Amino acid sequence: MSKGSTRFWTDRPLAFKGLVVVALPLAVLLGALVSLYLASSAETRAEDDVRRAFAIQRDVYQIQALLAEAEAGVRGYALTREDRFLAPYHTAEEDLPATLARLDEAIEDETVRPRFVELLQVTQAKRDGLEATIALVQASDSFGQNRIETALTTNRLALDAVRQEIENIQELEGIVLDRRRALVDDVRTRFLTLTAVSALIGLLGSFAAVYLFSTGIVRRVSKLEGDAELLARGERLETPPEEADELGRLAQGLARASALLRKREDDLRASEERFRLVIEQVRDYGIFALDPQGIVTSWNLGAERIKGWRTEEILGEHFSKFYPADTRDFLPEEMLERARVEGTAEDEGWRERKDGTRFWANVVITALRAENGELQGFAKVTRDMSERRRSEEDLRLAREEAVAANLAKSEFLSRTSHELRTPLNAILGFGQLLEIDEEDFTQPHRDAIHQIAKAGRHLLALINDLLNISSIEAGAEEVDIEAVNIADLLEEVRDLVDPVVRAARLSFEIDLPPSGTIAQADKRRTTQVILNLVSNAAKYNSTGSFVRLGAQDSGENVTIFVEDDGPGVDPANRPRLFTAFDRLGQQKHSQNEGTGLGLALSKSLVESMGGDLGYAPLSPGARFSFTLSRTSASRNVEQAAE
Amino acid sequence: MSAQLIDPQEILERRILVIDDEEANVLLLRNILQREGYTDVHCLTQSSKALQSYIDLQPHLVLLDLMMPEVDGFQLLEAFSRHDAADEFRPVLVLTADTTIQARRKALSLGAKDFVAKPFDVIEVGLRISNLLETGLLYERLRTSNAAY
Repeated sequence: MSKGSTRFWTDRPLAFKGLVVVALPLAVLLGALVSLYLASSAETRAEDDVRRAFAIQRDVYQIQALLAEAEAGVRGYALTREDRFLAPYHTAEEDLPATLARLDEAIEDETVRPRFVELLQVTQAKRDGLEATIALVQASDSFGQNRIETALTTNRLALDAVRQEIENIQELEGIVLDRRRALVDDVRTRFLTLTAVSALIGLLGSFAAVYLFSTGIVRRVSKLEGDAELLARGERLETPPEEADELGRLAQGLARASALLRKREDDLRASEERFRLVIEQVRDYGIFALDPQGIVTSWNLGAERIKGWRTEEILGEHFSKFYPADTRDFLPEEMLERARVEGTAEDEGWRERKDGTRFWANVVITALRAENGELQGFAKVTRDMSERRRSEEDLRLAREEAVAANLAKSEFLSRTSHELRTPLNAILGFGQLLEIDEEDFTQPHRDAIHQIAKAGRHLLALINDLLNISSIEAGAEEVDIEAVNIADLLEEVRDLVDPVVRAARLSFEIDLPPSGTIAQADKRRTTQVILNLVSNAAKYNSTGSFVRLGAQDSGENVTIFVEDDGPGVDPANRPRLFTAFDRLGQQKHSQNEGTGLGLALSKSLVESMGGDLGYAPLSPGARFSFTLSRTSASRNVEQAAE
Repeated sequence: MSAQLIDPQEILERRILVIDDEEANVLLLRNILQREGYTDVHCLTQSSKALQSYIDLQPHLVLLDLMMPEVDGFQLLEAFSRHDAADEFRPVLVLTADTTIQARRKALSLGAKDFVAKPFDVIEVGLRISNLLETGLLYERLRTSNAAY
């Protein structure tokens, strides 16, 4: 087969090939059968022809016989005039038409046909002659003997003509018969030949089918089998020819799979190489491998940096070298055992460098196993944690210090409170008893008792304020921030401060914010600050007529303010307004009692809630105001975390 | 109503134990109690002897300071409650100069029945003392009458 036709054949689908392989021998067989049928019917036809030729000869002889007997009968009749001699004549007259009609139908050959027409004529002439002779004999009696003799002679001559014609026909039919016989022989020979040829073609067709099956399927399947084996061994497959059938596609699929596998293998190898290079270059981690006995088999830059050994110095050494003397005898084996059993072992502890110095290390040992589970060695990753450990230690110390300092602060406050209050208890207690008994004393003593009691109470107020500020600043007291309705709060405070303001002969005014105004605040501390500010205003407003308390919603914040129309604060004193113990010269005016801590305490309280306390002069008067956040500010979160 | 139940004289005869390391404070309390008319008052400035006195005297009320050298008031509170039977009502009034909320909570949780910060108001302390003694007496009566049935 040529290359193009081979290509065409291999490109057909398998179903088509199967059809061809089965159909081809069948078609050849069918062809052989048809030709056999045709040959056999030709032979039958030829034999029929021969049979017809024999029938013609027989009929021709019968005509001759009938006519001869008829003539002999007529002759006898003419001699004897006895009717019984006419029987053959009548038989001939009766049979001849049918026989002639048969012949007319049977004779087809072109050469014989004219002879048959001739025969018809001479036969008719003979029959006419005989009829005329019979008529003569019946008419003439004894006188016409001569004419009868003549007629008889003529009849004989006519019979001769018939005989002559029949002989001619017989001769021709003999030739036809010979020809037909030869034809039958010829057909039979051809039939035999054809049978032999058909058998041969059938055989060849089968061979062709087997060949096609082999080239189109079997050979390629066994090649695919070989390819699959190569693929299984991981070898590279050759690019197969572009064949469009299923096997071709299978071969291409295998080739693609092979290419893909090869590419993966290459990628893997490249990635392993990259990975190896990366590991070698890692500086912050000591990464190295151990064999199952713990002997170092690989070493990276990080390991060299952390531990101090160079690659060529450490390969082949046991890894227990890295452990300090106190753990060297047991810990390395323990770590390997743990990694063997659990897959991985982690440890944090001291390790030794080449120069004998120690470092704090985090170590992870991982067992490396083959697919069948056999231990191949260990991977060890070491990190130098000295820095982190140091900073953790520092942090822990700092935290402990802070906690201790806080504790000390609380302890100090508690102790101070106790130390200052205990003596005051006796002073104030006895002072109170003396006051109860004051009628027992003379006036100068009574005055002295009052002075003691008054000074004692002042000292107590001072101590309370001071401890308050300190505890707020130390964060010793909890700040309870919640959403506070400021209008409600001011209403509550009004009942507390109204008497104070009235006692100072001033009018109290209140400027309430909208009823839904909410701020994030500690209710108790806010109340304390307001009380403080209003008391101050009432105390120092010697020239005016009112004290006003109010609040304003300023978007993010709520501002609470206390105003008065008194003399205000001397501009020179303003910088020291919130300084503890600074009474701005008021101590000279004995009518104004105070510790000098009120504003400092208020400022601390406001700041503990994340707000700000400020002063602004009015003309005339003073305005103290502080802000509170409307939303839970980050400061609250910070405090909660503390 | 209580005046009808309890004879004031009965309250004044109750035994009171004062424990405070500060001499002046002990004097002040003794003075206050004498003026009220209490007749059975025992004072102590050495807290190390307090538990023994407590056991010996079986006081009806203890006035206790918290911050003391050697054994402090918290330790004494624990010792008292360990010593007392469960159905005993022997109230302790804590008088302390430590006004921190932590001290207050701790003392009350350890069994103190009341808490007064120093410096205290003389009259207020007198009232609290008589209240606690009256409660103790009522408690005793209730127990006795329960036992009678």
